[in-house]
Amino acid sequence: MLLVALFAAQASAQEVADPVGEAIYRRGILPSGQPITAKREPDLQISGGDAACSNCHRRSGLGELEGHIRIPPVTGAALFRPRVHDGNVGAPPNSDAAYSRRDAYSKEALARAIREGVAVDGSQLNYLMPHYSLADADMASLIGYLKGLTRFKSPGVNAGVLHLATIVTPDADPVKRRAMLDVLDHYFADTNAAALAGGLHSRSPQGAMSMPNYRWQLHIWELTGPASAWDQQLRTHLEHEPVLAVISGVGGKTWAPIHRFCEQAGLPCLFPNVDLPVVAEHDFYSLYFSRGVLLEADLIAHAITGDKRLPAAHRVVQIYRRDDIGQQAANALRGGVAGVDLVDRPLRTGNGKQQLAAALRDIGSRDVVVLWLRPQDLALLAALPSVHSRVFISGLMGGLDQSPVPAASRGVAVMVYAFDLPDHRVIQTDYPLGWFRINHIPVIDQRVQTDTWLACVLLSETLSHMSDSFVRDYLVERLEGMLDHQMLTGYYPRLSLAPNQRFASKGGYLVKFAEPSGSRLVAESEWIVP
Amino acid sequence: MFAKNWFYSITLISIMGLAPASRAGDAGQKPRSDDAASRPVVTTTVGYSVPDVQLVRDDGKQVSLPAEMNDGRAVVLNFIFTTCSSFCPLSSQTFREFQQELGPDRERVHLMSISIDPEQDTPARLRDYAHKFAAGPGWQHYTGTLAASLAAQRAFGAYRGDKMSHTPLTLMRAAGAKTWRRIDGFATPSELLSECRQLLAVQ
Ligand code: HEC
Repeated sequence: MLLVALFAAQASAQEVADPVGEAIYRRGILPSGQPITAKREPDLQISGGDAACSNCHRRSGLGELEGHIRIPPVTGAALFRPRVHDGNVGAPPNSDAAYSRRDAYSKEALARAIREGVAVDGSQLNYLMPHYSLADADMASLIGYLKGLTRFKSPGVNAGVLHLATIVTPDADPVKRRAMLDVLDHYFADTNAAALAGGLHSRSPQGAMSMPNYRWQLHIWELTGPASAWDQQLRTHLEHEPVLAVISGVGGKTWAPIHRFCEQAGLPCLFPNVDLPVVAEHDFYSLYFSRGVLLEADLIAHAITGDKRLPAAHRVVQIYRRDDIGQQAANALRGGVAGVDLVDRPLRTGNGKQQLAAALRDIGSRDVVVLWLRPQDLALLAALPSVHSRVFISGLMGGLDQSPVPAASRGVAVMVYAFDLPDHRVIQTDYPLGWFRINHIPVIDQRVQTDTWLACVLLSETLSHMSDSFVRDYLVERLEGMLDHQMLTGYYPRLSLAPNQRFASKGGYLVKFAEPSGSRLVAESEWIVP
Repeated sequence: MFAKNWFYSITLISIMGLAPASRAGDAGQKPRSDDAASRPVVTTTVGYSVPDVQLVRDDGKQVSLPAEMNDGRAVVLNFIFTTCSSFCPLSSQTFREFQQELGPDRERVHLMSISIDPEQDTPARLRDYAHKFAAGPGWQHYTGTLAASLAAQRAFGAYRGDKMSHTPLTLMRAAGAKTWRRIDGFATPSELLSECRQLLAVQ
């Protein structure tokens, strides 16, 4: 009963957020549609989106540390909290233990801070804080919005349990699905065993704080039917099983309905296993390891147009299956090689070998062939006359190191490889491999398992820096901030995010197989960031 | 006009040891509302050697950092990244106003902004950013490999561990000079102008 009442309160608190205040805070737009304006002395003017409070105080309102400038929290709880002399200086901004070494703001004092940059104690606020011109009514809306900002813990956090979901689409590869779920099950069990054993200790920059003993509970949301039906299913799931965030996940041909749902529901969706993510870097809630096949398309475009030593391509022939993600990758490549003669030769269902032979029938030595194909189709190449031109293969679709590229094609076939090179990442991948071994997890798809493990590690690390401020927006903001100095990076040479950056790894290599058989790769390029 | 005491100079002190910009008013201190408290700026004179690294300019050309800095003009340098929403916009806006206020001296000053997030900041993104801040012809943005950007940051004492820990910093040097003026904190356009005019006078 109590829980139900609590959730109802949370839901209504989110709904009543003042839309005028929100538009000022997040987008710098007044109800008239005009941009807000502000200045810093002597006369540096800013306006609109550039002046939005969320640029600095962040969407959660919980602020952050920028270099050595502290951008303070501006939530109602922080601003209107009375002075606490011996507050815990290290506590996160939204926690009850957080300090306040100044008196509570009144509405008038707050308006003065926002208009004139004068703090409640009369001192001048840091120069970074702009001085806003706001009419009284707009100011009242803004203050109303701040009052309600991030007032409650997010849904999915209660009684010592953090509820987390993972999402599986019906067209997800069953091996990848099992690979992911196996890792999640074990990771959650491990975390809960540690919680039982007395809790973790956070390594926050302010020093050790004891972590409350939260157990993690996994909810598996298996979607069914066509993609158009998923949104409704996700709504129902979230309603019945409120969660703090979605961790990992595995998709097939499209992830767009899930991306859109998470954005609308304000639900963090952290590092799903998808090779075709949604590129919308101004969205907030979905974070991905990389742009997947879209990054591969850019790497190929870069190789085709960027290498001046090679003869200009006569023609680029792209081969893909219409019902697979290669089609979108091919479209992206088309956009990246303007001016080049580009031909698409999609394969239909049915006899792959005949169709592939037909698609390759007239390839000349100055042509470039791009294969957006799965291992089954690549294996067919062995029975076809070999191609004497440059060939690019999608590593993600073609099976990476295990790709069945026939011996005769290994001399010309270049694979796009949007990961660190196998030789470079051995130390990194030793961690998860050791952990899989200890937990008796069979390695059936090493990359998916490593990415899933890494997603859990990143979540765990971030939560440990949040004490008990488990708020969805803040979770995303903390992840953004901590990724740069993360030591464990799995398959990637490094990870980095920021506001309006949603893809943590940005580049890749071109590689070839070193020998006629086997899986050893050699780099054909430096790390390229297209 | 700005008052001289806003902008005090010390020579060769350790910048790293400076306390963060703390607000007056805590622990019974008398509230202060003067500019120095809310906008601490520290200027020092420091010798730096420019590392021999290759960067990629916003027009996509590969260039050498020493060559970009030794073209007969004074250099005014800062470090930014395009998705930084808190204080890079202020630094870049200050650069723009400064460049405009230079007037005819604009020709004698090369403004350079080097990305500390080079993998995200492609030349195309840097061009958009420069356009947004109405950068004039004498102001270029640079990216390159992560290693090259790090080498540049380290050489000028601008490296703070990662991009989220950066601090506001401007460096300037007369054409061909060995020593740099290092300005930590948010200098205003007129402060930069005054510093720069002094350099141009000896040049
Ligand atoms: C460019 C960055 C930036 C933007 C944009 C910004 N602020 Fe601030 N704000 C700051 C900084 C930095 C401080 C801390 C100053 C200090 O500690 O001296 C601050 C302080 C404050 C404070 C005082 C908090 C306290 O604990 O005393 C309030 C209130 C505030 N901001 C509200 C707002 C509102 C409302 C907006 C939008 C209308 C806004 N800020 C936009 C950077 C910013």
